[in-house]
Amino acid sequence: MVPIIELCNVTKTFGSSQRPAIVLDSINLFVGEHEFVGIVGPSGSGKSTLLRLMMGLTKPTEGEIYYRGKKVQDVCAGMAMVFQTFAIFPWLTVVENVELGLQGKPFAERERRERALRTVELMGLNGFEEAYPRELSGGMKQRVGLARALISDPEVLLMDEPFSSLDPLTATHLREEVLDLWSDLSVAPEAVVMVTHNVEEAVYMADRVIVLTPRPGRIARDVPVQIPRPRDPRSSDLYRVVDEITGLIA
Amino acid sequence: MIGLLEVLEDFEGRVDVAKVADDLILELDDLLPAVEAAELLGFLKVESGDLILTEEGKQFLSRGTKGRKKLLNKRVSSLDFFKMIVDFAKNHNDEVTKKELLDFLQAKMPDADAESTFHWIVEWGRSSLILKYDSSSGKIRIMP
Repeated sequence: MVPIIELCNVTKTFGSSQRPAIVLDSINLFVGEHEFVGIVGPSGSGKSTLLRLMMGLTKPTEGEIYYRGKKVQDVCAGMAMVFQTFAIFPWLTVVENVELGLQGKPFAERERRERALRTVELMGLNGFEEAYPRELSGGMKQRVGLARALISDPEVLLMDEPFSSLDPLTATHLREEVLDLWSDLSVAPEAVVMVTHNVEEAVYMADRVIVLTPRPGRIARDVPVQIPRPRDPRSSDLYRVVDEITGLIA
Repeated sequence: MIGLLEVLEDFEGRVDVAKVADDLILELDDLLPAVEAAELLGFLKVESGDLILTEEGKQFLSRGTKGRKKLLNKRVSSLDFFKMIVDFAKNHNDEVTKKELLDFLQAKMPDADAESTFHWIVEWGRSSLILKYDSSSGKIRIMP
């Protein structure tokens, strides 16, 4: 498989060089074409840091990160991120928030708006174009977050605990929609990397689950999930994998 | 509400309401608004503590985002309550202000909290593409 993202011996430390706190230790991993990768681990295992490193938002202390064979030096234009806390601007409407995903890209104003409206519709936000974030439920806010990420047709979609601050019913629904997008090749990104502390969610959604150890984060196991899609979130096959992973973390 | 229908589908269309709450680690009280909404739209039935997905509910789930919006539009606009709101707005050239609608609601339903009914109307109206609301100008427009 051709790797889209590759991490070679990546270590990340914070703090002074005399007494550094090691967050990630000797991470080797790759994300391939049309792969949905889940990353799970206890809090403090450096899951979010791993995503930030992939996107180029922070630099590794040691080791190299490659995107399509090129070393990541700066923020990667081919990637987009979705955050747990939505990270949308309260003073902008839904459509304006979504348009921000095209910031720095050479589009005329009219095309910007057209794309934004298309993405808004894709995420089921039509009808809410002129709404402000304070008028939206959590699920709708995260749809804005997803639309803003998807508007630039990113090659890789990075998601950091995207469903963790939603109520269980809303989370169930939005997971389905993300999976629908994933199965629709005309709109799906080439790869998705999702960080979550919810093992069931990772196994339900991903093709492969990478399990990190507690601090410092190392790769404890790389578990392929060979269950055909669409999956039943309550099937015994799925729970067997969930149990295997939970055993590694607990 | 759609999440609830999806959970019901996972349980093959019929399941005890307490089991759903338990499965989702959700208090029964937190589940009930979604149950009521789905029931009002005819997507599920409640029978001796069981939630049952109706044919309409199954049909709704089988559609994509666009198809769901269409069906939702049909269902919501056929509710007597929404018909009343739409008629009221039509008599005002398809556009009413928040204040006008609040006064109307107050007059029609003096016992209900007009403000929260208003929020409910906007939420449902937007979701089903029946109306648009611009909170900065306070104007509601009925969509053609």
